[in-house]
Amino acid sequence: MYSDLDPRQQQRITRVLRNLPADARPPYGWNEFQQRVQERKVARRQGLQWGLGAVAASLLIIVSGIVLLSRGGAVDGARTQARVSVGVPTRPELPVVMDPRTRDAERWLASLPPEPVVVRFGTRMAVTQLEDRIAQVDDLMSIASANEVAPGRLDALRQERSRLVKSLAQVRYAETLAADLR
Amino acid sequence: MTRLVETTIPEDVLRGAREGEERAQATLYAAVAPGAFALIRRLAGGRAQAEDLFQDTMLAVYQRLGEFRGEAPIGAWVRQIAVSRCLMYMRSPWQRARLSLGPANVDDEGPAEYDRLLPPSPPPLAESLDIERALASLSPTARAVVWLFEVEGYSHEEIASSFGRSVSFSKSQLARAHLKLRQWFEPTVDTEPCTPI
Repeated sequence: MYSDLDPRQQQRITRVLRNLPADARPPYGWNEFQQRVQERKVARRQGLQWGLGAVAASLLIIVSGIVLLSRGGAVDGARTQARVSVGVPTRPELPVVMDPRTRDAERWLASLPPEPVVVRFGTRMAVTQLEDRIAQVDDLMSIASANEVAPGRLDALRQERSRLVKSLAQVRYAETLAADLR
Repeated sequence: MTRLVETTIPEDVLRGAREGEERAQATLYAAVAPGAFALIRRLAGGRAQAEDLFQDTMLAVYQRLGEFRGEAPIGAWVRQIAVSRCLMYMRSPWQRARLSLGPANVDDEGPAEYDRLLPPSPPPLAESLDIERALASLSPTARAVVWLFEVEGYSHEEIASSFGRSVSFSKSQLARAHLKLRQWFEPTVDTEPCTPI
C-alpha cells in the first residue's frame, strides 16, 4: 500500500511537513509553570486527603453495617427463641381474600405488641392462697388427730402441709430476690 | 529554526538545573519548552490536552533530570519523554473512548487550533496553512505516525514499538495519511471543456 504512492509526492509532503514551524509559543512561561506545579502538588495532596477520607468513611460504613447486621441477626435469633419458648405461634401467610371476621381478627392480632410481653403480677395473692391452704390443712390435721383417723390419712396431710410450706418458702425467696434487683 | 531533537544547552546550565538553581532551570525551560510544546501540540491534537501533556512532560523533565546522562542532546531526551507521554495518552482507555464516541471533535477543532499554534512572526506561508489543515484532518493516530516518521525520523519499527502494534500497522497508517494529505496538494483539475464541442 505504501509503495503505491508517487515518490515525488511523498518527498513533497515530507519536505512541507519538515518546513513547518518546529517551535510554538508555550502556553505559559517559567514562573507560571512553577506556580502550576505548586498548585498541582497542593491539589494532589488534597486529593490524597480526600481519598483517604473517603476510604476511611467507606470502612466505617462497612464496619457499622457488619455490626448492625450481626446485632440484628442476634436479636432476630433471640426473638425467634423467645417465641418458641413461650409458645407464640408464628403468623401463617394469609390468603389475600379474607372474610370480614377474619379481617377483624387479623386487625386485632396486628394491634397486639409484636414481642412477647412479660406481665408482672404481685405475689400477694399466691402467698395468701398458700397460707389459707396451709391453715386448712392444719385444721384437718387437728380434726384427724382428735378423731383418731387412719395413720395414712394423717401422713398424707403432713406431706401436703410440707409441700405447701416449701412452696411458700420459694415464693418468699423470689420476693426477696426481686426486691434486691429493684 | 532548531528542532527540539537538536536543542542543546551549556553543561553549566544543565548542572545548575540539576542542582535546583532557579535561573538555570528557567534557562532550560526557555530552551526546550517551545519545541516540546510544538511537538506535543502536533501529536495531541486539541489544545487543552496539549497543555496538560506539556505540563506533564516538563514536570517529568525536571523530576528526572538527574537521569539524563548527556549522551545525546537534551532536546532528544525531552522529545523522548514528550512522545512517550503523548502516546501513553493516546493509548489510554479514556482517550480511546472519547475518540470512539466522537472522532470528529478532534478534527473539528483542528484547523483553527493549528492556526493559533503558528508563531506570530513571520506570517505563515499559504502552503504551511494548507498542511496544518491537512494534518488536522487526520485521525490522532495517523497524525502521530506521519509526524514521527516524516519529521522526527522514527523508523516503522520504533513507531510500532511505541504504539505497541505491528510494523504493518505503522506502514498502513502512514500510507493512509499520505493519501489523505495528497488530496490537499493535488489541484482539482476541471475536466469539462470550457466550450461545448
